[in-house]
Amino acid sequence: MAFSGNFMCTSFKKELLSATHNFSTSGGDTFQIALYTNSASFNAATTAAPFGNSNNEVATSGTYTTGGPAGSTSTNSLTPSSSMPSSSGTTAFTDFADKTFTSATITARGALIYNSSAGAGSNTANCVLVLDFGSDKSSTSGDFKIVMPSPDASNALIRIA
Amino acid sequence: MMNSLSFDLPREESVVSVKSTNGRGFTPEELAEDCVGKIISVSDTALPGIRDQARAFERHIEKTVAYYMRQAIQSDRTTVYNALIDAGHPQLAELIRRL
Repeated sequence: MAFSGNFMCTSFKKELLSATHNFSTSGGDTFQIALYTNSASFNAATTAAPFGNSNNEVATSGTYTTGGPAGSTSTNSLTPSSSMPSSSGTTAFTDFADKTFTSATITARGALIYNSSAGAGSNTANCVLVLDFGSDKSSTSGDFKIVMPSPDASNALIRIA
Repeated sequence: MMNSLSFDLPREESVVSVKSTNGRGFTPEELAEDCVGKIISVSDTALPGIRDQARAFERHIEKTVAYYMRQAIQSDRTTVYNALIDAGHPQLAELIRRL
């Protein structure tokens, strides 16, 4: 059991076709990030983010809260990059701002980005992306920062070409 | 001809990067580096003249952003210092001022 690369979840692709996800900066859904140890195993078939230490999610520390905290103001929520979604040429894209968990002691190998309000529901965990950090990343009583790619047609996290 | 959409993530190469600290927060210089990465990007395969000019501009912007971040920190400490003085905590205020 281990992370084995980055994946866009197949369930997410299917849900896009049923208008389940809204990435609009204003009035869009709430997307959150959950961090996991390398004991977790996710791939394109992952449909929902599992929570808690028994599912290999990292423990609560600093501003990171385990268990998929509810609400758009949760400390695990992601902020869309400005003016997203956007397009350039024939490519549409959307992205999030960097996410920093402060005063945290964390060791994580990867993450899941999920929609916590999919389809205007609440406390959902519809998986969007599986992110593999490549190796264990750690912070000790410090900042743990996930640097998202540039929000453009060549680098953004989610691109449709 | 069939139209197709493509939007899978690269399986092996890094999509996001992680930066972390131990026993401290990020410095203005560390944050400025990430900030500039969001403002300017230039391909390694761009024409050398354009690429070099973009990289030089990148370094200049990074220094400018870091400078104003340090100014913001100092300015915020002044605000915190005065708030603590007003709240009757002069020793704590002095501690903040000396950071």
